[in-house]
Amino acid sequence: MYRILPADVPLRYTTAPGSARHPVPVLLLHGFGSSHESNWVRTGWGRALEGFPTVGLDLRGHGNSGKPHTDEAYTPSVFVTDIVLLLDALGIERVDIIGYSMGSRLAWELALARPDRVRRAVLGGFGPVNAFAGADLDRPGTDQSPFGQVHRAAAALPGNDPAALAACTRGQAAHPFTAVPAPAGTPLLFVAGERDGLADGMERLAQDTGAAGALRVARRDHRTTVSAQAFKKSAVEFLARAPAAFSAV
Amino acid sequence: MAEQTFTLPDLGEGLVEATVLEWLAEPGERIERNQPLVELETTKSAVEIPSPHSGVIVRLHAEEGAVVQVGAALVTFETEQAAGIVGTVPREEERPSRRVRLRPPAE
Repeated sequence: MYRILPADVPLRYTTAPGSARHPVPVLLLHGFGSSHESNWVRTGWGRALEGFPTVGLDLRGHGNSGKPHTDEAYTPSVFVTDIVLLLDALGIERVDIIGYSMGSRLAWELALARPDRVRRAVLGGFGPVNAFAGADLDRPGTDQSPFGQVHRAAAALPGNDPAALAACTRGQAAHPFTAVPAPAGTPLLFVAGERDGLADGMERLAQDTGAAGALRVARRDHRTTVSAQAFKKSAVEFLARAPAAFSAV
Repeated sequence: MAEQTFTLPDLGEGLVEATVLEWLAEPGERIERNQPLVELETTKSAVEIPSPHSGVIVRLHAEEGAVVQVGAALVTFETEQAAGIVGTVPREEERPSRRVRLRPPAE
């Protein structure tokens, strides 16, 4: 069941209880132009994460959350503020995160800004490449760049607000990802499709950050990796590991 | 024992077809209800379809990479549920009839 967190930009979220075996809630952060439902529910992650308490939200500009139209409303730090607001409202001190694409970027930012709130993070469909390379930021979705295609597909989805997505694109692009500084003390796991160009350089980033792994899913691309069993299995295994497994990190 | 064929359900968002990405069970294998059955790719996203029945997979009607239309056969199961008693209808088959529209959609 979804609830709304009242705020300047209202956020729609959902939670599911877990078993005592998994005390740390898993926060699910969806990708650009998607929603909690589309990214995580329809793709079978609810079944994969059975036993784990989960929290999922529609990021601002997406799904059934508020959709401001200004670029400044979509900087990475604004998203981080939203997420912390939600965790505070739910009384959750610390989470594990599974992110996808833009959601992985935000997981990285959250782990950097608030290392006290993030235990481990799985970064799906993400690499250090400039996701907006070749993209027309004045008119997102009108070009043939990889992101142009992602934007076009997202803007055409029912319920999506093209003006909000365009603002989101510019807000994110104005703050390009940098691999340094990296979150210290947060064990990371990288997973991406073998044919996912938006995750180019993932292996190098994983190496530089001392990540637990960098898994490429055979025959999958940026869109089709989301539902992949290999992604789910590796994420679940990583999050279920005993803390001692990371004592060297 | 009864054979039951599961057709590609309505995936919403006006989608009329989907491509089989990967089967998560194979013929001869037993699968439980709600266990992951198949991953599909639509023009908009990837989805995972859980098994609607507990039973043994008899036949997969589409190969990986094949395009399946909504309503077309996807997989046939052999289920334990007795469907042979004259006059009874397997429970799973009641569902579509509830979805018949009694009046045209508003749009």
